[in-house]
Amino acid sequence: MKFIDPHQDRWHLAAGEDGPLPHPSPADQLLLTLEQWHAVRSHWSEQATAGKRLGLQLSNDADVEALKPDLPRLALIALSFPKWTDGRAYTQARLLRARLGFQGEIRATGEVLVDMLPLLQRTGFDAVQLRADQRLASAERALRFFAAHYQGDTRDARPVFRRPAALAEAA
Amino acid sequence: MYRYTDFDRQFVHARAAQYRDQLERHLAGELPDEAFRPLRLQNGWYVQRHAPMLRVAVPYGALSSAQLRVLARIAREFDLQDAGTPQERGGFGHFTTRQNLQFNWIPLDRSADVMDLLASVDMHGIQTSGNCIRNITSDSLAGVAPDEIVDPRPYCEVLRQWSTLHPEFAFLPRKFKIAVSGAREDRAAIRWHDIGLQLVKNAAGEVGFEVYVGGGMGRTPVIAPLARAFVPWQQILVYIEAAVRVYNRFGRRDNLYKARIKILVKAEGQRYFDEVDAEFDKLLSEDANGAEHLIPQAELDRVAACFAPPAGLEPSPAASQAALRSSLRPGDTDAPVAFSRWLERNVQPHRLPGLRAVTLSLKRPGLPPGDATAAQMDAAAALADRFSQGELRVTHEQNLLLPWVREADLHALWLAAKTEGFATPNIGLVTDMIACPGGDFCALANARSIPVAAEITERFQDLDLQHDIGDLDLHISGCINSCGHHHSGHLGILGVDKDGTEWYQITLGGSDGSTLSGAATPGKVIGPSFAADEVADAVEAVIETYRRERSAGERFVDTVRRLGVAPFRAAADEVRQTTAA
Repeated sequence: MKFIDPHQDRWHLAAGEDGPLPHPSPADQLLLTLEQWHAVRSHWSEQATAGKRLGLQLSNDADVEALKPDLPRLALIALSFPKWTDGRAYTQARLLRARLGFQGEIRATGEVLVDMLPLLQRTGFDAVQLRADQRLASAERALRFFAAHYQGDTRDARPVFRRPAALAEAA
Repeated sequence: MYRYTDFDRQFVHARAAQYRDQLERHLAGELPDEAFRPLRLQNGWYVQRHAPMLRVAVPYGALSSAQLRVLARIAREFDLQDAGTPQERGGFGHFTTRQNLQFNWIPLDRSADVMDLLASVDMHGIQTSGNCIRNITSDSLAGVAPDEIVDPRPYCEVLRQWSTLHPEFAFLPRKFKIAVSGAREDRAAIRWHDIGLQLVKNAAGEVGFEVYVGGGMGRTPVIAPLARAFVPWQQILVYIEAAVRVYNRFGRRDNLYKARIKILVKAEGQRYFDEVDAEFDKLLSEDANGAEHLIPQAELDRVAACFAPPAGLEPSPAASQAALRSSLRPGDTDAPVAFSRWLERNVQPHRLPGLRAVTLSLKRPGLPPGDATAAQMDAAAALADRFSQGELRVTHEQNLLLPWVREADLHALWLAAKTEGFATPNIGLVTDMIACPGGDFCALANARSIPVAAEITERFQDLDLQHDIGDLDLHISGCINSCGHHHSGHLGILGVDKDGTEWYQITLGGSDGSTLSGAATPGKVIGPSFAADEVADAVEAVIETYRRERSAGERFVDTVRRLGVAPFRAAADEVRQTTAA
């Protein structure tokens, strides 16, 4: 699990003083809203975006399945937890990984707390931007309590009853 | 009973360790209450009126005597507060309408120790609270009922494991409750649940589920509509995943009181079911881990093997009721009637010849309905060891059931149960009421339910009267959250808050969906609420009306259905003193 340091992070929004720019230009590590993406996705040529990593920042009610044709062009999808107890992004991440086969980075943004980490890891997130007051050491420890789980997940699709006994027994 | 594997065991210990870490961080100030709260809820710790309440999971109501002894130990050693007199503050548990057990007096700083102790007997509080999939409940006669089609317990256990710490469904819009019935008679009130599952066999004899989605109580009682007439058992995890995923995506999160799945299903109607069907198809055809959750025969067999009747039960020919009644010792003068009544009410027929299921009544004067002290829990465990192969069930009606009692032992069990205060012959009668803990314990309650229950128990002490009244489901909730299931009572009492004082609404004609009660339906309110000191009078008036107006052999709920609420309302209005009709 990658922990994003906002001070070092190079991913950026294409925003002006009045909010997201309606017609941004391609740039490396550019994070677009869904509206921006719809505006540019047919216009930006392969040449214009060659070598430039593109990402989307999605609200947690966005339909990720509609993005299926676009996924090969995206390096990053940032999903959102407006409140940490709003669990919609777990479903979005899971659909991206298990149904749509998205290979890029799935990042958790918004109100991301330490104790969400086991859930994030198992639904397909591989990067988190923790809320500022969260301790990294606690986050790393949170990932170590369980060696295995009952259900299949995005790391191992097999539920416990499909794993050989040696793997089903927790380490 | 299900036997934990090393994996299961390590899992609950890991969970207890995770909780201990969270508690320590909380007590050290690193985890503020808003961050700790959902975490402790998902381990069963619910801060209540006086102290944190712990809700221990009793999966589909199945409990071993060893587990019950540990629950007794928790009641005795941990369920204590320094506030108030020691006799009043702790030392007991409350069995709930969802077959769990609640403690009310355990200090939070001891909670991690309690989770470790529970883990030592394969128990936990996982997901007994929080916006996640809760304890899966079932029929307390599962595996022993003569009308059983398919034993629901193996499926309940597979479902329990699948739902435990499901990473996608830990933060649903709201709580999610599933109930399973495997018999012709629905004793699990499945239509009142977010998902209700009825085990059936199709024309080819294959096992599957009728799936109902979108039932619930509360402010807007709804009977769950049918989602699918037949889901093959192998597919049930995948189907439920589809149903819950659509709910996670589209359930309302803007309004706490409109967030249950029943609201989504009512609002979307067929579109919800179509969306679930589409999701179900995609899970199986497109997903990396969809088909992986089809249940293999080997897994069902592994789990089902745990639920074979216990070794040590010798078959014996079934005895007749007359033979049972006559199996008495000389010198027991009032015994014939008392024993007879107990046989009639508390002892039920069994699938296996020579056996019976026996209910230990936790409904008696002096203790709130469903409560048991530490000593009583130990006593019940001893009865289970002596008479029921070490096994008990927690019933939906907040009693304990012994599922493997030999007919030859019934009289001895009756004597032992009497000594312990478990033999009140009232199962299914008016004093076998369901009651939530109410305002005495629950911060959500509008009114107290325990004093109401106590007064009604007092008024109907006379067993002759109770037996004459016959079958009557009395359900009491202290507030609209309906933990006492007042909606499904033949006679329901609901605590309401008016101007800061306690008032009670009475409903009639509700049903949990059993054959006795008829199709599941909420009861009808019989007029403005009653004052606290009018409720018991009103209940008496309603019951008197029934006794006066009933046809021969007619049960309370049938008379209510036949006559409508008008005569009952009129009788109840007669007893009002401070309230207006």
